[in-house]
Amino acid sequence: MKHPIKTSLAAAALLLALPAMAEVVVVVNPKAAESSMTKDQVAQFFLGKSSAMTPVDQPESAPVHAEFYKKVTDKEASQVKALWSKLVFTGKATMPKEASDSAAVKKMVASDPKAIGYIEKSAVDASVKVIYTAP
Amino acid sequence: MKKRIIASALALSFVAPCAFAQDAVRISGFGTGALTWTNTDKAEFGRANQASGATKDVTTGVDSNLGLQADYPINSWLSVTGQGLVRKDAQDDYDAELSWAFAKAKVSDDVSIRVGRIGLPAYMISDYRNVGYANTMLRPPSEVYSQMVFNTVDGADVIWQHSYGATTYTAQFAIGKTKADIIGGLSMDARRVTALNLVAEHGPLTVRVGRVDGHLTLNGSTSLATLLNSLNTVAAGYHIPQAAQLASDIDVRNKKASFTSIGAALDWNDIVVQSEYAKRKTDSYVNDTTSWYVMGGYRIGKFLPYYSHAKLSIDGNVDNHMPASCPAGYPAACTPTLVTLSGIVANLRYTGVSQGEQQTDTIGVRWDFYRSLALKVQFDRVRPNKASGLLINPQPGFHGPVTVGAVALDFVF
Repeated sequence: MKHPIKTSLAAAALLLALPAMAEVVVVVNPKAAESSMTKDQVAQFFLGKSSAMTPVDQPESAPVHAEFYKKVTDKEASQVKALWSKLVFTGKATMPKEASDSAAVKKMVASDPKAIGYIEKSAVDASVKVIYTAP
Repeated sequence: MKKRIIASALALSFVAPCAFAQDAVRISGFGTGALTWTNTDKAEFGRANQASGATKDVTTGVDSNLGLQADYPINSWLSVTGQGLVRKDAQDDYDAELSWAFAKAKVSDDVSIRVGRIGLPAYMISDYRNVGYANTMLRPPSEVYSQMVFNTVDGADVIWQHSYGATTYTAQFAIGKTKADIIGGLSMDARRVTALNLVAEHGPLTVRVGRVDGHLTLNGSTSLATLLNSLNTVAAGYHIPQAAQLASDIDVRNKKASFTSIGAALDWNDIVVQSEYAKRKTDSYVNDTTSWYVMGGYRIGKFLPYYSHAKLSIDGNVDNHMPASCPAGYPAACTPTLVTLSGIVANLRYTGVSQGEQQTDTIGVRWDFYRSLALKVQFDRVRPNKASGLLINPQPGFHGPVTVGAVALDFVF
């Protein structure tokens, strides 16, 4: 009798969670020295202001993309694109590498101690280290 | 010939993405398709150093361009970059030019060195001024962006970038030489060019200071040669040494020149502000000038309406110490000759590329209507202070102000 209630509660929670945007976390290689970062520190890698770490992007069509830039850089995707086109077409930087989805981000981050990426919180596993969670 | 090679290199790079693995060569591009028109047929409106411009007839030539860039990382610290740009400039047709081609070595996390053809960092937006998508305004304000005819420098630079707390500092120092073709088959050489560019970014605020120094030589100007010749003839024939001094002051041969500018940009919440102030100085007839603009905009969703005011004024050019008339007993032709020459000299400040004075009020709107695409509509009210300002090919009877309209579609890929 207990179990069906729990199951239906879980199902209800899932239904409630669905309309909300996926929670975004920022991940690095487990070997990276940093254990946490501020929002601004994360933003500087994804806005081309620092090349100390290598950002890994997600496709513009992925919901997590818009969510990440809105929450971490306070910018719309088009503003970020305009910013990057400044850096790219002046030869100062190249566009961040793009991974096809969160699984691909994890793979790239897990293989590069300098890589930094963002994924849905639900996709986190031991292959990466979370250093920032978007509110 | 050189242009043909660049054009075929550009054509090749269209094919390249298929031939190379995604990680090997990165091809990216930018462009603008635009229509520009004005309300007069008696002068033409163009961007800095264009040979022809817009009139009442709508033209695509003023604001349209296409750029392609290839980046190739050789290893973790060395990369090469090449960029070609097709647009209308001093030659009156669409030309391909090599914007940059350099090898970049990342010496450390903070320092990189580039060797080859690099952008000359004279302005705040100097090296992305042709990338419409990266800018709020449809085109950079002519009053400021006409004052330095050079876009690139062939040489090397070192860039240092570091963050202290939430502020990122960038220092760039470039050395080399450069050359620019200008209207009428002329060209300007700059040797011993040095450029310093200092930028600080703190959150939404960016401030910068830039300084370019060099030695200028103008090639191919027959009218300038004729004027100098006449002055030297007068100096020798009538024993007026001031005329020879004037000729040497006017001449543009290995003359010192500098361009100093400061700028600030703010992108805070929905408020966008951008401003630059620049001083040009040369030891020749090329005007010493002050130029500036202030642009403000407010983002409303995907729309960004903006207003800008820009002004170019002349601080001076050459001092004419020739006497107004010849001493008694000189040949009758002497005084009229001096008067004529002084008239031509006085007019030099309104003669040639980037000379003249004017101000412009601009309103426009940028609409980010789709991924990597922006549509802009802009109207400029251009008021030349004297003669035709920065407008080109004026006809008799021309007078300002002139209204310029433009619609542009910017894209990046």
